[in-house]
Parts: sequence; structure tokens; C-alpha cells
Amino acid sequence: MWRGLLLLWMTVSMVAAFTWAPLVPGLEETTRVLYFHIPAAWLSVVGLGWSMVHSLLYLGRRRIEHDDHAAAAAELGLLFCVVATVSGSVWAKAVWHSYWNWDPRETSIFFILLIYGAYLALRSAIEGEERRARLSAIYSAAAFVTVPFLMFVVPRIYFSLHPDPLINPGGKIEMDPRIRIGFGAMLVGFTGLFAWLLSLRVRLVRLERVQLEAGAVPGGSL
Amino acid sequence: MSVALRSVAGAERPSITAQGVWHRYGPGRGLEPVSFAWCGPSVAAVTGANGSGKSTLLKVLAGLVAPSGGTATLSIGGSVVPNRARRRCVGYASPDLMFYDELSCAENLAFAGEALGLRDVRRAFTAALDQVGLGRVAEDRPGALSSGMLQRLRLALALLHGPAVLLLDEPTSHMDDEGRDLVARVVERHRRAGLVVIASNDEREWRIAEQRIELRGRGLGGAA
Amino acid sequence: MPSNGSSSAAAVWAVLRKECRSEWRTRYGLNAALLFAVTTLTAVSFAIGRLGNRTDLLAALLWIVLLFAALASLSHAFVREVEGRTLLLLRLVASPAAIATGKLVFNLLFLGVLELVTVPLFLVLMGAPPPRWGAFLGILGLGSIALGGCATLVGAVISQARGRGALYAAVSFPLLLPMLAAAVSGTRAQWEGGPVGSEARLLTAYAAAVVGASLLLYDRLWED
Repeated sequence: MWRGLLLLWMTVSMVAAFTWAPLVPGLEETTRVLYFHIPAAWLSVVGLGWSMVHSLLYLGRRRIEHDDHAAAAAELGLLFCVVATVSGSVWAKAVWHSYWNWDPRETSIFFILLIYGAYLALRSAIEGEERRARLSAIYSAAAFVTVPFLMFVVPRIYFSLHPDPLINPGGKIEMDPRIRIGFGAMLVGFTGLFAWLLSLRVRLVRLERVQLEAGAVPGGSL
Repeated sequence: MSVALRSVAGAERPSITAQGVWHRYGPGRGLEPVSFAWCGPSVAAVTGANGSGKSTLLKVLAGLVAPSGGTATLSIGGSVVPNRARRRCVGYASPDLMFYDELSCAENLAFAGEALGLRDVRRAFTAALDQVGLGRVAEDRPGALSSGMLQRLRLALALLHGPAVLLLDEPTSHMDDEGRDLVARVVERHRRAGLVVIASNDEREWRIAEQRIELRGRGLGGAA
Repeated sequence: MPSNGSSSAAAVWAVLRKECRSEWRTRYGLNAALLFAVTTLTAVSFAIGRLGNRTDLLAALLWIVLLFAALASLSHAFVREVEGRTLLLLRLVASPAAIATGKLVFNLLFLGVLELVTVPLFLVLMGAPPPRWGAFLGILGLGSIALGGCATLVGAVISQARGRGALYAAVSFPLLLPMLAAAVSGTRAQWEGGPVGSEARLLTAYAAAVVGASLLLYDRLWED
């Protein structure tokens, strides 16, 4: 039921975003990237946070369900992170005439991409369910500690070309309300999509475990 | 003076209680739920097919493996030993225990004694080596020992700190008759005051036990 | 019981002494790391020549050389235990936190010795201007603690994974990125006569956070 609603919601907001909402002067048609680039970037941060929180929960409670969530959120987060990176890079080529120039936003998204990559690579290299869960949770917790430092380090070294100053100079909201509505609707839609995919992924992992268990021991009791 | 460091000759009565302890390494591999209560002074045996989890159970009791579920508690003289103090009350020997080859046998044991916080490390390792008949090779590297002698060195490590509980995983593997006699003597001496747990399928090893549990579980006879 | 603090301090000390003795007898890790660092340094120097006043490049290259030397060697302390199958012995006699803390201190000493050779050689070979010693050594020391703390934690994790050699650098790198950026910018500021206070504070906070978190996480490192 709510999956149908989600589909409808996303369709309507996407059409609205591309036809009803106006363009930002100076960005012209590239404004449209806003409607999926920023939600994707948002979800890559949400995915990382969700994954890390569940890693901490796993370390505290030792329940394998937390590890399922941590892993699923990391996989999905990586997906959205790639979407955000690529769409941002294409946009940067159009507006800044360069795909990549270590802008602070680019640096932070790249950092998140690296953490996801390392986390998933580590997971794939550890045998044994509990050991994998425990060690990747330890790694995730360590990353959790170092992430805030990047926010302090990056602005010291690079200055930003990212277009909040263009869209939203001086922090005063001057965005056209139609853009904001379209953007808000897409943000909600994307978050719903993420939640749905996450629940699917977690269910799939559980079913796989049940199946493995049944396959390994016919009539096994655990 | 710590409970852990007191000699076995003391009046403490070790006991081990397991309630629904199980552990899984992955699908179909591990230890099925098991419950028991053993009280010292005594010898207890764990038997079962390959892959049924004998070694895993001993590792759980030694505090090396955190079980996936259930609790295994060790008490001495009626008071429960907290997990972090367990290594000082338990002596553990198994065939997969290896020593540092850069250090001599004596240095290996000296390191273990220092890390365990023993007061008189030299006396402890000398006594342990003499007890297993390895006094002559104290300065040799563990790599130079035969597999039977290495097995004796493992036993020396388990005896080093005079633990109340001895956990022996296949204690006589690779050993000659003399070695078997030695293990039997050690077990005999230890059973009077402490608790000895032997995991083995060799009847010569476990027939002296007063209590025995047999693990059934997942021993499929496949790759153990 | 003896107080837990003093007994784990004894365990940390015993682990540290054991590490130093093993390393001194084999010199395997240090020789390899020194050779690696000198090779990298020579390659950089050979490819670029003297950099003189390009302090931005000097700072970056110095930390890249140190980073690679560290990532080539710091997981060794744990990998050696896994490959020699001695981890079981270690875990029998010391708590995970004591083991990892002992190895952390050893790794920091190791980095210190490595830098004692690499850094002077770097300054001479690259024709670097004379550093402001106080600021330079301060940043170098703080950066090394941060680097060592992070590399030790990841090394402990990676030693339990397959394909650890290849993974180690890739998995450590994201965690090291903030510290590396701060250390490079501090080293550069020191050459250019600017203040290094904020970088020093950042590195201090980073090192404290990583080492603090490690101490909490170490307890969960080995459970099977």
C-alpha cells in the first residue's frame, strides 16, 4: 500500500520539480540537479550514520540484527553516495568547467565514499558471522570517532565554491518557494525510498541466513 | 593475596556451571546448547564426535570464546569469578597452542608469568618445567622440541600459575607412554584439590573421569 | 584480588617487553620498515631532486613517506601473532586491552625509531630549509601518536581478515585522512613561519579520541 503511495509521491514531485518549479538565475537548467543530487548526498550521510549507530548497538548488545542493519545501510549508503558524487561531478563540469577540484563538499563526499568502500571491503574479507559483525562494528566505531575531525580539517585547507552562496547568499532564504517545495518533496520521497530499500535488504539477509542454516543441517534445530 | 594466585592446595572448591551454552561460527558449525554443573575436587570429561564442539566448549570455559548464547560461570569457594579474572584461575592446554620461537621455553613461560602478574616468576616456571620433565630443555627454542615435548610445554603453561581449574584439550596427543603417565600423574595430583576438565575421544584419557558429558550436535563426520 | 589497574599494567609491560625482545632478536619488522622507508625516500628524491623552498611539497612528501612506512609495518605486531599461531598463548595470559595497549606502545616506539632514521635523511636528501625544531618536532610527535594509534587499531582488526596485507593500507587510509591533512598543513606552516597551534590542537584531540576509543574497543577485539 505505502509502496504505491511512495511511487505516486515520487512521480508527482519529480514532474513538479522539472516543470512547475522555476530555475535559479546563474545556474539555469543545471538547477534541476538539486532535486536528486542533494537528497542522494543527504542519504549517503544518513546511511553512514545509521550504519555506525547500529554498529555501536551491536557492540553493546551483540545482536546480529544490528549487524544486518549496519551492513544494509552501508550498501545502500554507498549506492546513494555514488549517485551524489557522480551527479555532483557532472554538475561541476557544467558550472565550474572541471569534474573534480577538491572542493570541501567534494572532499567530504569522497571521504564518505572511502569509508564505505573500506568498510565493505573489510566485511567481505572476514570469515565467520560473529567475527565479521564484531570487527566491522569496531572499525565503524573508530570511523565514527574520526568523522567529526574532517569537518574541522577540511575548511582549513580548502575554500568552497559550492553553490549555497549562489542559491542562498548570506544564509537568508531567498529561494523561490516552489523550488523549496519541490526539493522538500523529493527529499521526503528519497528518504522513503531509502527506508523501503533498507527494510528489503535486511529481510533478504535474514532469509539468506535462515536458508543457509536449513541447507547446512537438514531439520536443524537452531 | 588473591584467590587466583593461591595454590591449589588451598581449601577452595572450584565449580563450573553452564546453562544453555551454545556457539556458532557460521551456518551449521559450532556447539549445540549444553547445560551441566561440575563441582571440584573432581575430573570431568567432554566427549563427542569431531566437530561437535569439544574444543569450543573448553575455550568458552577458559574465557577465550564469548558464547553466542547461554552462560558459563566459574566459581571458587562459592564466589563467582568475574570474566576478566578468569585467566588467573584457569590453566588451559590444547594442541593448537603455539609458543614464540624467538624466545626459549623458559622465556616463553616467564613472559606468561609476568603477564599473569605472578610474584615469583622464576620459581613458578622452574617448578612448572620440572613438573613436566622439561627442566633440561629450558633454554631451547620451542621450535626445536619434538611434538610430544611441545605437548609437555603446553601442560607446563597450564600449570604455571597453580590454577584451581585445569582445562585439557586432548592432553596426550603426540605423547609416548612416559608422557601419558606424566599427564595421568598431573591429573591425579590436581583432582584432589581442584577441578580437571578433559576433552577427548580417547578412552585412556577420559576413563578416570567421575563425570562425563557427551556432545551430540553437529558432528557430521565431515571436515571437522 | 590485586587491584586490576596494577595487574593490567604488569600485563602491558610484559607484552611490551616481549615485543621488544622478539623484535630485537629477529629485527625482521624494523629492517623491513627501514628499508621500505629509505627506498620510498630514494625514489621520491631521485624522481624530483632537491625541492629547496617548495615547503608545500616537502610537507606532503614527508608525511606520505612516513604514512607508507607505517602502513607497511605497523600491522606486523598483530599479524605475527596470527601467523605464528601464538595469539592463543597471548590471550591466555593477558586481557585484550592489555595486549593491544602493549602493542600500541611498541608501535609508537617503532615509529619513533623509524622516524629517527627517515626524517633526517629526508631533510638532507630533499634539501629542505632548516625547520623550526620545536614546532616541527611537536607536529611530528603528535602526528605520529595519531598515526600509530589509528594504525594499531586497524592492524588488530585486519590481522583477523583474509588478504590482510593488501587491505591494511586501504582500510586504514580513510581513518587517517583527517590526521594526515592536519599534520601536512602543520608541517608546512612551521616552514613558512606561520602559527601551528591550531594544527597541534587538532592532532592532540585526534590522537586522544582515537587512543581513547581504541581502549574501549580493544576489549571486543578477540572473542572467538
